Amino acid sequence: MSRSVLGRAEEGARPARLDRDRGLVEAARRDPSRFDALYRKYLAQVYSYAFYELRDHHAAEDATERVFMQALAGLPRFEERVDAFIASRAPANPAEAADISTFRVWLFRIARNVVANERRRDRRRPVSSLEAAAELSAPDDVVDTATTREAVSEAWQAVARLPEDRRRAVILRFVDEMSTSEIAAVLDRSEGAVRVLLHRALRSVADDLASGERSGRRGRLS
Amino acid sequence: MLGHGTRDARRTERYLDGLMAADDRRAHEVPVDADLDPAIRLAARELRSGLIRVHPSFRFEDALATRLAAGALRLRAGLPLDDANAGPVPGTLAQFRRSESGTDMAAAPDPEASATPVARGHALSPAAWRRLPDMSNRPSRPLIVGGVGVASAAISIGAVYVAWRHSHTASGRMGRAARAAHGRSTHPSHSRRAGVINGILGVVS
Repeated sequence: MSRSVLGRAEEGARPARLDRDRGLVEAARRDPSRFDALYRKYLAQVYSYAFYELRDHHAAEDATERVFMQALAGLPRFEERVDAFIASRAPANPAEAADISTFRVWLFRIARNVVANERRRDRRRPVSSLEAAAELSAPDDVVDTATTREAVSEAWQAVARLPEDRRRAVILRFVDEMSTSEIAAVLDRSEGAVRVLLHRALRSVADDLASGERSGRRGRLS
Repeated sequence: MLGHGTRDARRTERYLDGLMAADDRRAHEVPVDADLDPAIRLAARELRSGLIRVHPSFRFEDALATRLAAGALRLRAGLPLDDANAGPVPGTLAQFRRSESGTDMAAAPDPEASATPVARGHALSPAAWRRLPDMSNRPSRPLIVGGVGVASAAISIGAVYVAWRHSHTASGRMGRAARAAHGRSTHPSHSRRAGVINGILGVVS
């Protein structure tokens, strides 16, 4: 398939939108050792995604390694398709259009497949809870720590209870800060479907929080 | 015509966009559609503050960078990447990240650098300091550090250090080194979440 952005720019038909990672991607294509910049930029995002999905630091590290190795090997085949992406997804606002990275979408599609394979392989292995995996170090300020732990724990528990597709959308939205159109591209869903997934996920979390409060009140009263 | 569910989903999306944008500019006010269910709003805020980004251990980050560098050399030499785990191409050096000036930050392994900087006390050796990853391009979201070390006290302190670096965005490496050496911070917390993280960081600052 041709590289649409370059082609259109050369034709001069209209100004092509540029992928925000274009410079880094082009540098890495010319010299694979320059892939390091892309790796450093997206390491935490990919690792977080893997960690929230697999709930285990070791498994997340394995998955992260596979993702970046596959990305390095596949970089020559990566196609920057910002214009096609924008045309098909029609982002809601201009800022989103200016901030699109098809490389990130491509990377997360690799991550999605790697994590899915990892989950299939380790289905029989029990997974630790997200809260246990996210244990924070002992702090000086007991009140602040209790607040943080409680907030993190409640959020993680609520997310862990979500069905797989909603949880994935929530992680990409809240942890990796992707737009609806990016999530749609990563998950191979329509934007409308992603919107509904997120809305339903938040509805479930809201119900969870409400029932948690009710049981907390009952606990305090008894 | 849009159905009721679709309209609600669009309202939720607009609110989430506003929430993320407000966080980016450190604003407390988020534009709210009056028809948006307050329970959805609350849930979104809970997830926003609770779902923190997780960073792997520095040891893992550097080890994978080395493997990728070795793989890159193999690709450049026209060899398959699959054998990258066998080690770098003979006669070549695995390339580590470079500083802004373009000089190699670490050409040879530094045994000191594998230790968590804070765990070795607040005075960092120049070699260890150079090995610290550059965080300047990373988002200002709170982080915790993963890996084996989370269970151990040493890496827990490492996690604290990373979060501290993220909640203190300004100044260069020397400034951060000086603050670490003197055990104090001159930066106020930038947000509620940064404040909470700073609270956790009492052990460092």
